[in-house]
Amino acid sequence: MTAIEVPGGPAAGLGGRLRLRDSGIRRLFGALVLVFVGGYVASWLLPGFGVFPESWDVGFAEPIDRARRWLINNQTTHGLYTVFLNPISDAIDAAIRWIESALAWLPWYVYPAFTGVGLWWARSRMAGVLGFLGVWAIGVLELWEEGLSTLALMGVAVIISLAIGIPLGIAAWRSDRFAKLLRPTLDAMQTMPGFVYLIPFVLLFGIGRVPSVISVFIFAVPPVVRLTEVGLRNVAPSMVEASEMFGATDRQTLRLVRLPQARPAILAGVNQTIMLAMSMVVIAAFIGAGGLGQVVLRSLSSLDVGRATEAGVSIVIMAIILDRFSQGIATASPGRDARWIRPIFGGTVAAAVVGGLLNHSAFPEGLNWQFASYIDDAVGWMQIHLYDIADSGIGTGPFSDFVTLNLVSPLRELFSSSIPWPVMIGIGVVLGLAARGIRLGLGIGAALTLIGLLGTWENAMDTLAQVVVAVVVTLIIGIPLGIMAAQRDRFQTALNPFLDFLQTIPSFVLLVPVIMLFHVGRIPGIIASILYALPAAVHYTDLGLRRVPHEIGEAADSFGSTRLQRLRKVDLPLAAPELMVAINQTIMLVLSMVVIAGLVGGGGLGFEAVKGLRRSDSVGSGFEAGIAIVLLAGILDRLTRAVADRLRPPPAVA
Amino acid sequence: MTEAVRTVGVSGLWKVFGRKPSEALAMAREGVARQEIQDETGCLVGVRDVTFEVNQGETFVVMGLSGSGKSTLVRCMSRLVEPTEGTVEICGADLTAADAAELRELRRHKIAMVFQHFALFPHRRVVDNVAYGLEVQGVERNERQERARELLSTVGLDGWSDHYPQQLSGGMQQRVGLARALAVDPEVLFFDEPFSALDPLIRRDMQDEFLSLQERLQRTLIFITHDFDEALKLADRIAIMRDGAFVQQGTAAEILTEPANDYVRAFTQDAPIAKVLLACALMRPLAATAPEGSWGRISTLAPLEEALPLLLASPNPLVVCDGEGEPVGLLHGEDVAEVVAGNSR
Repeated sequence: MTAIEVPGGPAAGLGGRLRLRDSGIRRLFGALVLVFVGGYVASWLLPGFGVFPESWDVGFAEPIDRARRWLINNQTTHGLYTVFLNPISDAIDAAIRWIESALAWLPWYVYPAFTGVGLWWARSRMAGVLGFLGVWAIGVLELWEEGLSTLALMGVAVIISLAIGIPLGIAAWRSDRFAKLLRPTLDAMQTMPGFVYLIPFVLLFGIGRVPSVISVFIFAVPPVVRLTEVGLRNVAPSMVEASEMFGATDRQTLRLVRLPQARPAILAGVNQTIMLAMSMVVIAAFIGAGGLGQVVLRSLSSLDVGRATEAGVSIVIMAIILDRFSQGIATASPGRDARWIRPIFGGTVAAAVVGGLLNHSAFPEGLNWQFASYIDDAVGWMQIHLYDIADSGIGTGPFSDFVTLNLVSPLRELFSSSIPWPVMIGIGVVLGLAARGIRLGLGIGAALTLIGLLGTWENAMDTLAQVVVAVVVTLIIGIPLGIMAAQRDRFQTALNPFLDFLQTIPSFVLLVPVIMLFHVGRIPGIIASILYALPAAVHYTDLGLRRVPHEIGEAADSFGSTRLQRLRKVDLPLAAPELMVAINQTIMLVLSMVVIAGLVGGGGLGFEAVKGLRRSDSVGSGFEAGIAIVLLAGILDRLTRAVADRLRPPPAVA
Repeated sequence: MTEAVRTVGVSGLWKVFGRKPSEALAMAREGVARQEIQDETGCLVGVRDVTFEVNQGETFVVMGLSGSGKSTLVRCMSRLVEPTEGTVEICGADLTAADAAELRELRRHKIAMVFQHFALFPHRRVVDNVAYGLEVQGVERNERQERARELLSTVGLDGWSDHYPQQLSGGMQQRVGLARALAVDPEVLFFDEPFSALDPLIRRDMQDEFLSLQERLQRTLIFITHDFDEALKLADRIAIMRDGAFVQQGTAAEILTEPANDYVRAFTQDAPIAKVLLACALMRPLAATAPEGSWGRISTLAPLEEALPLLLASPNPLVVCDGEGEPVGLLHGEDVAEVVAGNSR
């Protein structure tokens, strides 16, 4: 290769990509026009083509309901239960009970003490003090027992996740074939909104803590599997060489070198698993997980915003403590001296045993203080003064109505009936074709058709409309914030704690403050989705722009580009794949939240799913809604990821 | 001098990377060039028919530029990379024929390696790094720690045992690497460019220390480097490697005085010959003529630069004497002039 070709390589590749995209866009446009014309002609010719014909419903609901009845009738007799499901169920149940009674036996003051000392050790003295006060606050709010119950459920789910996840990660690292099998499974598991996991387990186990633990486990296990594998794969080959050179066996190398080297990655996975478990354990209140989630759910259903806020605050406190603690352990450097903690830790353990024997387990009642009434007052005030300010037609209420009437509803109408369903499917096929190829196009077509055949077309289009609105708003806010964060370190530093905080809040809890302001309906769901997805949108934009190599930016500057020119011509195109990841993540997070918002009047698929969980006669339709959610998630995920791949510059020639 | 004992024997060693090694091997045997083989079969010939022997206590340096296959060679010799063909014998055991368990035993007790970028374990304290080989062997904790601390003091790192490697400077880290390799008391030590990641001053210190350590320990050392001066300084014998094959092997003097081809000559041209070549390399054996008492005397191990002023000061040759002060040869001015002049040509 000559010296002239080398610098020309990447630039030519980039040019080629852009050209390819231009012609792609022209073709895409042509295909869409064709689909529209063809679809409308077809809908004129065939009446009733707008809405997906009801008579085509394959009726999944009926068999599911029948299966459920059969399952209930045979729970005590059939081999599936006596041999397989009941032992699992009993073991999990026993584990929860055991841990819960152990947690309840411990004296109450051990919890704030342990949290304080633990955070002090893992993070800083300040974190310790805040953690100490945080745990107190949960007791003061009279949510002590609920908190312990949530902790016990989490504990069991996290222990199962780690006990299964880490070995799975090791197996995936060891065998490429197993990894190839596992990866799409994990992808699918992570694509699905957690909420959907509840449905099949309710079907199998009924309502209660066992299906909760299982669905929490399934929702939470992927990160630890993935990061164990990634951590092991990223161990420097020189370390392994050095170990083998000393005649270490494979086992020795794994135990003494690989696993310790992968420790930070594995612990990062553990942290993510804990956070997902926390988020899911709250959602699992829908199927009788109990604990703090139950309080939020019950209070929200009766619009007792004050109590819901108290429980929500407790959940957030728990989540932040668990997050900072596990993060602190994950990022601790091996060289630091932390032996000073041992006597303090020992003292705490001793106090736990003595206090337990003295039966100090209940949180003292005299310390209670609740702020629910203030919240209720505030909400009352807001409803008078903010919901519709002085009957002027300005306020959150009219705002909601306005957005619903002028944005969400028209869009829903457009998707579900104005555009005939064959056109919608055609659009999906064409987008898939343009983004990746024939297989994705046909896959999307099949998935959309199945959504229709399940009888969920209208609800799915309703959900899609909400997702589109929320995603667009999130990106309009998030991408500029990300750009600013990438350009100014100080802005990023200022923004980060806020985003971190937003990200730590379990999805379900986010609904609470939004409902305070906006009451129920589609709008609070959309706003909660925006808040939920915003950190990811900002983060990936920021990350993508910061990954643009420094010299390339300098090269742009050296030609005298203005800041905007550089951004438009250099930074953004180079960050395009990450921007697409930002969009992908935004869509997936928004979707999972929009579904949960079904609970607070969000309608669409989420509402059907919630109904299915709550009423035994709607399990079938709930199941159908669940499948439709999964299909929708899969379509949006594959489509955006395919576009992201397309935007990646061609790989360098070795 | 005691009888030389062969500790390392490499014969007909080949390494071909890629999917069709046998095809590539056949082509290479017929003398097809490396690039052509790669174009045709997609295989890369890493090591090309290398044969050499190293005796107990000898330092054998393999010198080559990056991509010459020297690193692959040393990895084939320890079977970190599986050789395609040929045999490697270490202390009488055929390493290439060993099964997994035998190979492990050999690695545990007979050989050790010092790595280019140290390859220390960042999650283990210095002392646990040094004790690693012993831990793998199953040596009990107190014993291996004690031995590790002993070695740390040998390499001058007393008091650093409880630190983590990344808290140490580069030079200190490589001392840890050296101690770690020595801890298992190996017969043969491989050094894979151990000093190339260090800055020049530290590198010189480490080289000096390497020499003094070797004088004491008298191990068999295989040393890989891309630095010709380093090779000259450390080696008993040098092999120059290019495109996977040995171009020339011999003592520093042989290579400097009779480079096998232009490739080797290119290296020798800039070599500080007067510093590197020792009197014994150019001396003529004592013939019938007994040296005059008035002639200057010089040690066999003195570099030429020490001989030059003496030679210039007198028309007579210098008497070269061994360690006991017994005359063993004569160093003539014209011989020195020829080599030094040839070098600067």
